[in-house]
This record gives sequence, structure tokens and C-alpha cells, in this order.
Amino acid sequence: MAFRTASVVALGFVVGPALWLIVGVIARAVPHWRWNVLTTVPLGNGGGLENALLGTLVIMAGVLVLAGTVGVLAGIHFAELARPKRNGRAGSSSLRVASEVLSGFPSIVLGYVGYVALCVGLHWGFSLLPALLILSLMVVPYIAKSTESALRQVPTSYREGADALGMATGYALRKVVIRSAMPGIVTGVLIALSIAGGETAPLLYTAGITNSLPSSALVHQPIAYLTYYVWTDYNQPSAQAHNLSYDAALILIVLVLILLVSARVIVYRTQRHSESRR
Amino acid sequence: MVDEVMRSTQRPEVIDATLAALDPDRDRPPSVMEVDSLTLRFGEKTILSDVSVAFPRGTVTALIGPTGSGKSTFLRTLNRMNDRVSGFRHDGDVTLDGVSVWAPHQDLLSVRRRVGMLFQRPNPFPMSIRDNVVAGVKAHGIAKGRQLDVVAETRLREVGLWDAVKDRLGESPFRLSGGQQQLLCLARALAVGPEMLLLDEPTSSLDPGSTESVENLMRQLTPALTLIVVTHNLGQARRVSQSTILFYDGRLIEHGATSELFDAPRDPRTQRYVNGLMG
Repeated sequence: MAFRTASVVALGFVVGPALWLIVGVIARAVPHWRWNVLTTVPLGNGGGLENALLGTLVIMAGVLVLAGTVGVLAGIHFAELARPKRNGRAGSSSLRVASEVLSGFPSIVLGYVGYVALCVGLHWGFSLLPALLILSLMVVPYIAKSTESALRQVPTSYREGADALGMATGYALRKVVIRSAMPGIVTGVLIALSIAGGETAPLLYTAGITNSLPSSALVHQPIAYLTYYVWTDYNQPSAQAHNLSYDAALILIVLVLILLVSARVIVYRTQRHSESRR
Repeated sequence: MVDEVMRSTQRPEVIDATLAALDPDRDRPPSVMEVDSLTLRFGEKTILSDVSVAFPRGTVTALIGPTGSGKSTFLRTLNRMNDRVSGFRHDGDVTLDGVSVWAPHQDLLSVRRRVGMLFQRPNPFPMSIRDNVVAGVKAHGIAKGRQLDVVAETRLREVGLWDAVKDRLGESPFRLSGGQQQLLCLARALAVGPEMLLLDEPTSSLDPGSTESVENLMRQLTPALTLIVVTHNLGQARRVSQSTILFYDGRLIEHGATSELFDAPRDPRTQRYVNGLMG
């Protein structure tokens, strides 16, 4: 009984702040909400957030492609290919150590490294490419880890069944193993995306900021993002700027919710034939 | 002229010769699989010692013996499922149609296609019922497109599952009963056209009704296929097999016709085991 009470209290600690946060942002943003925030760029203390919204979407799409590919492949490597044959234990390849060290790095340090190495070192300036590389570097270990654990949870009986039918290892991996690990992989990638979308520190160092809309330029062209306005406009001494700050927060929350809902939908669709859903 | 031919073909020696010439297996060794002094170790642990046995084409052989006697490990060695177990080493040989399954030019995937396997617990893949049946067929590129539907129907009919699932081929296999799932796995194994089937306690998780349908199928599958079945169910060994092998402590203790092994065992350990005096 005590255990039950404790877990309900713990649940409250998780759900409470989340609700408080969402309700707080909505209550402050919705009363003054105007749709043209989505279609205009900042002007003085007012204007809209179109540049930042599009910038964040571009950054998220870039991270999805870059970190999604690298992270999922790394996870497959850890779970399936780097698995030592002799003792059956998880190996500690140098790649895995590197990945774990990387995931422990404070994001602002990564941002600074990006600034020094890419923006200054390679003369790329504040721009999309260094921002993408640094954000991807930040979430790749997370994606690799979640992919790896999703693959490790695939029942041995699926692998044995595939082996016994004479499926080639790679074929079985694609058609049977990854398919049943898909929900875990997708959830990991989408959560990583929302982490990337909500990052500020590395972007301050790499993306710069601009009032203009994202262009097709990868380098030499700063790019805007929502989190910048959440912080900067909140510190402006004007109600108009405060409103924009809450608008940016609301848009971010909606984006993250959309990601989480899509994760659920994808999980539902890919798991129509799963063992857990009879 | 026609009469002459008709008359001549009715003579028994002509018929036998004709049948022999038509037998697709005529040029093959009489035993589809032979195990020659197989010793198997996982690390320092010896699991099987000096096992030699031949499996005649088109028969059912039962492997019996107490838990831990090595019969399942033996079975899994025949289609090389043990190769990746840590510390796996073997002496001796297993030949399929006279060619070692470990021969360098032997293709592991085709060995496994020719030697199918059914597991203790049904293990359908997390895909639709139809896709389960044709999973191996697709992997080996045996059929594609509309042919796959034909394969699926043929094999589901073969295992007697068609009427139960024909209206829900696109649904999850995990809604089927355990027995139906096992039959589905059997259909999946049969779909790639194996010559042998290895069955590892195929009915131990099934109810008596499903067990009976699996056993009936095993009888129907011979002589087209050669079956080896590991079972703890001595009644099942008696019902389905022509010959039986008793494993004890990693050794082949006795191998003989099923009726002889059960009714007149030569080895005292066999006698105790088949009489239920030894687990």
C-alpha cells in the first residue's frame, strides 16, 4: 500500500509540472494570440515569428536526416554487428565509449566547440550547417542508445525463426528484427528531434540569429529559431515582446506535441501485427 | 502395338524398374542425413560425445531422453543453429545428401532452406498471417507477386489452417490460438520446400486437440519429407515415429525401430526411461 501511495505521488511529480507548464504557457499565449505571428517576421519589438518557426522546422528536418540516419545506423551496429560472439556480453568498442562520452557533454560546450571549429575555424560563420552538425552530434548518442535497446528487446524467437528459414542475416534484420523494433526506434528519433528543437545553447554559438526567413544557404547565412525568442523577448522591457516570447513557447510546445502524437501514430500503425497487441 | 505396350508395362519387373527410374531421389544416398561420430563442445563443456546415426529418407525419427541429455542441442546442430553459440566447437561431421553441412562450399542459407525447423513455442513473426507463410519464400526469391497468394493458400490448406484464417489473412498471427500459431509456423517452414524438418518438442505447449493435428500432419508429410522430432511425450514418439533414438548424458544410448525400442529395449537405461522410471 505504501508502495502504491509512493508511486502515485511520484506520478504526480511527473504529471504535475508538465501540466503546469503547458497550462501556464497556453494561459499566457492564447489570450493575445494572433495568427499572423506565423506569417510575419519580427519588426522592432513586435511583428511575428515566421522566420523562427521556419528556421526551427528546417533545423529539425536537417537533424532528422543527419542524426536520424547516423544514430539509427550506429544503434544497429551496437546491437547487431558489434555484438561479440564469444562471451555474449555487450562489447565496449571504442565507438560505444565515444558515444557515451559524447552524450555526457554539456550542450553549450558542444556549441562552443562548433563555434570555434566550424564557424570560425572553417570560416562558415553563423549558419545552418554548423548548427545541424552540432545538434546532430548532440542527439546521435541518444538515438543510437534507444535504437540499440529497441533492437535488444526483439525476442530471440524471431531471430531463430528467421535463421531457421535460411534468411540471410541482413535480410532478417531488415524484414523481421528492425520491423519489430520500429516503435522503439521511431520514438527515440522523434524524442531526439524534440530535444533538438528545444535546444538553445548550441544554436546561440552556431546558428546566430536573423530576422529574415531561412534561405537555401548552408553556410555564411544565419538562421533563426524559436528558442532564441523565448529567452530574448522575455527579457525585453515591452509587453509586445513578452507576448512574442510566450507565442514562441506555445509554438514550440505544439511542435513537440505533434512529434509525440506522430510517434504514437507510427507506433500504432507499425505494431498492428505485434505480439503485445492481440 | 498399344496393347503390346500395355501388356509389357503391366509386368511387375517393368513397373518396378519404371518406378525406380521415375524416383526423383534415385541418385541420392538412401539416408538424407548422416551424423558421423559427432562430438560437440560449448567451451570446456562437452554436450555430445561421439554420436553416429543415419536418417533414412522419408521417415520419422524420434529423439527421446531426459532433460539435459543433449537431444535438443543435437537437433539444432543439424541445421547449424548452434554455430553462433559462444564456444561452439565440433568434431566429426553431419552430411546432407553426402555433403558436409560445414563444407566450405556449402551454403548455410540453402542448408537451412532444405532443413526446416519448428520450435517448442510457436514463433510467428510480427507481420500478417499471409506474410508469415511467405516470409521464407520471399527471402529465397522462390515466388513473388500474385504467386505468393497461391503459395500462402496452398500451404495453409496443407496444414489445415486455411478455413480458419482465409478471411483474416491480413490480421495479426498473435490472435490465433497456440495450436494454430504452431500450424502457421509449420506452413511457413513448408513453404520454402524443405527436404527435412527438425521439430523441437513441437507440441509441448499445445492442447491435446492441436497436438493431434500436428501429429497427423507429421504422418502426412512423410515420405515426401524426412522428419526428426525431439519429444518428451513417449506416446507421441510411439505414435509418429518409425525409429527412435535415446539420448542420455550427451550420448546416443540406443537407436532402433520404435516398436522394438519401446517393447524390447536392449540397454537398461532405455528400459528405465521408456518405463517412466527415469525423468
